[in-house]
Amino acid sequence: MLSNSDNSDKVIKIFSGIRCVSKDQLPRYLDGRLTDVEKHLVEQHLTDCDLCFEALQALEKEGNMDKYTDLTGKLQRYIQQSIRPVSQEQKVLQYTRKERTKENLLVYFWVLAFAILGVSGVYVLKGHMRNNPTIPRLMVSAIPPAEAEKMPATEPAVTSQPIIAANHTSSVSNTAPAPAAAAPASAAAAPAAVDSAKIKLLAAERAAKRKAQADSALKASQAAAEARKQDSLKKLAEEKAKKDQEAEAAAKAAKEKEKEKEPEPAPKKEEKKEDAPPPTNSDENLYKAALQFQQQGNLSEAMDRYKRIEANGSGKYVEMARYQLGICYRSKGQSARARRMFKEVVRMNGSLKAAAQQALDTM
Amino acid sequence: MHQQLTSLSDKELISRTRKQKDRESEGVLMDRYSHLLVAITLPQLQKNPSLDPNIVFPTLLQRLSASLRTQSIYKANEWIMHTQRAYLNNQEKATPFYPSREARDLLHIENKVDKASTNTIDRQEIILRLEQALQRLAPEEKELLDEFYVEQKSFSDLAAAKGWNRDKVRNQLKAAKAKLAKLFINQAYVK
Repeated sequence: MLSNSDNSDKVIKIFSGIRCVSKDQLPRYLDGRLTDVEKHLVEQHLTDCDLCFEALQALEKEGNMDKYTDLTGKLQRYIQQSIRPVSQEQKVLQYTRKERTKENLLVYFWVLAFAILGVSGVYVLKGHMRNNPTIPRLMVSAIPPAEAEKMPATEPAVTSQPIIAANHTSSVSNTAPAPAAAAPASAAAAPAAVDSAKIKLLAAERAAKRKAQADSALKASQAAAEARKQDSLKKLAEEKAKKDQEAEAAAKAAKEKEKEKEPEPAPKKEEKKEDAPPPTNSDENLYKAALQFQQQGNLSEAMDRYKRIEANGSGKYVEMARYQLGICYRSKGQSARARRMFKEVVRMNGSLKAAAQQALDTM
Repeated sequence: MHQQLTSLSDKELISRTRKQKDRESEGVLMDRYSHLLVAITLPQLQKNPSLDPNIVFPTLLQRLSASLRTQSIYKANEWIMHTQRAYLNNQEKATPFYPSREARDLLHIENKVDKASTNTIDRQEIILRLEQALQRLAPEEKELLDEFYVEQKSFSDLAAAKGWNRDKVRNQLKAAKAKLAKLFINQAYVK
């Protein structure tokens, strides 16, 4: 039974696939140097394989063996050479292809990078150009606080002139002592580049003259009144009509006194400004004087006057004075105070609000 | 890589050559059969001195390489044999290779046996059917096969015993095996 099973196991060998005789086995089989098992396997294969059997037959003939070994060696070398170089060539080709793609990518990268750089450079330049106008503006605001002062300073002076002129024309038409008032007005209107001391002196002289004129006028009127009274005492009967005249004269005198008093305070204010009761004229004059001081570069005097206007004055002169104070502070370099002044002007919400705001913005 | 490829079977090498266009595996396959190719071509080279081995072998290899990509190859030895014969008979014309019916049958049975090597049930069934097929063979053939495969006698022993030369022993064995294969396959169809 056992032998039977063994036999049956061996039967299956009939159809077991066996590889062709190898280069090593072939000569050994021919020489009979194989083991029994190996030899049997080779013979099993030989029954099936025409190739191996024919090769065996060919090699059994004399003199073929040397040629066989020679040619086999050559052929194998040929095969290895023909295949390895190809694979190496393929590798080299692949490598070069990779390198080429890398280089191409690098080229693309750099081109892109430069393009981006160029575009961003142009953008930055444009931005710079756009910002450029602000730099001159800054320069302007840095350099000419004096100019900036002059601009608003001259403007109010110009605007104030017609007002003054109107006042004076009315006073001229109304009264005789008007020229006295016109004189300082013209003096103020023509603010030549004269020293303040000279101006003061001139003003004092004129004020003295005007006082003298006013006094003489008063005396004359009083004398006339007395004379008329004396006449009336003498001629009582006729004097009813004359009393009317006297009354008229008195009224006239009173009017004259009033009109004389009007020009008086203006020069007084220029001499001692704190005494001035009428607000507008004194503010105006103070402001003009301050402007003059400011234009002449005497900032402390100008600021003093502006402060006075600010303390006592009213309406637009306070605003203007504050604005000018702000400018004075700015030109002195006290930017915090200047800013405060401008802010106050802005808060006052007057005609100079926009200018103050601009000054604030440029500071 | 080369070392790993040498351990692969012919079939795997061929499929690698075809699918992955692997020149190396093609080289390994050619290398495996190069000595046999030289051996079978030697008689022709001696007979015909006009044949230059420096031309014959490279062109043979080229033909093999070309047919490797296009033709179905069941057994590499048969394919190489056919290509060599075709080349030497007519060097101009490349005759395509068709595997023979016998070779396909043999391969089929070999694959079955190979598959059943670890499966005892399949194995027992194959053995049973082989025994049945053997019973249907002529007694001399059965005896010859038994002596060769079961008793493991060599060609020379058999030749000595029968009084034949080695070639005849081999051819008789081959014929008997072919018959057996045919019987085995036909049994399968009958079943």
